[in-house]
Amino acid sequence: MTASAIDGRTVGARVERTGCDFDELVRRHQSMVFSLAYHFLHDRETAEEVAQEVFLALHRHLAEIESPAHAEHWLRKVASQRSMDEFRRRKRRPQVALEVVTEPAAVMSSGDPILGEVLRRLVATLPEAPRMVMVMRYQEDLDPMEIAALLEMPLATVKSHLQRSLALLREKLERRGKGEL
Amino acid sequence: MDRLEQELKQALARTQPRPDFSLRVSRAVEGRASVMPRWMATAAALVIVSGGSLAYREHQGRVAKEQVMTAMRITAVKLNHIQARVKGVRP
Repeated sequence: MTASAIDGRTVGARVERTGCDFDELVRRHQSMVFSLAYHFLHDRETAEEVAQEVFLALHRHLAEIESPAHAEHWLRKVASQRSMDEFRRRKRRPQVALEVVTEPAAVMSSGDPILGEVLRRLVATLPEAPRMVMVMRYQEDLDPMEIAALLEMPLATVKSHLQRSLALLREKLERRGKGEL
Repeated sequence: MDRLEQELKQALARTQPRPDFSLRVSRAVEGRASVMPRWMATAAALVIVSGGSLAYREHQGRVAKEQVMTAMRITAVKLNHIQARVKGVRP
């Protein structure tokens, strides 16, 4: 029996035991991992690089993954850590200052793409920790307790980040005449 | 959840990377797998160096042995020669 046949059988047995096939995990979670990095870094190119690094790390640690749910949790955690690492490495505050955020041109309806872009940019100007909390809350729909566990942060801090960030965004939007939000 | 939160949820909805993303990840994984790990490269280098050193020492031993044998052969010839001459000068 060839080495690759033995490897294939081992991988097959592990996939059967854990339900974790690497290619399937990439397909299933690529949008989650990429979006976490993208909404945090507000840069598609860098977000794709970070997402690729996260999946390479998953491949190295695949033997430690016990179930699809574990894989999802692991990817979320590592994606948030790698995104913050990348941000620190670049040593620059996001991209767009509040003053240059595009002014929405018209009255906004729910799901307005222009408002969406404004909000993404406003979120990208938040400090590191509140920004990741906001992304976890509104992209991943996690509750504060789950966010606290994932980011290893006290629950009170998570709640405080959420409240203060929402208040700040509301204030910025009001200043731009979008008080109805 | 108020309107701002609903808008945030839509603004921060998941989005897809480029269509060839999973293919690029697969290629990166294959590329990484084909690269020899550092510890393995170090071990291979040590084996080559120590193997080469051993072979060189064996070669030096063989050369020294041949030199000793040649010296002994020359000495034996000389001794035979001297013995013959000593026998020749006896009264």
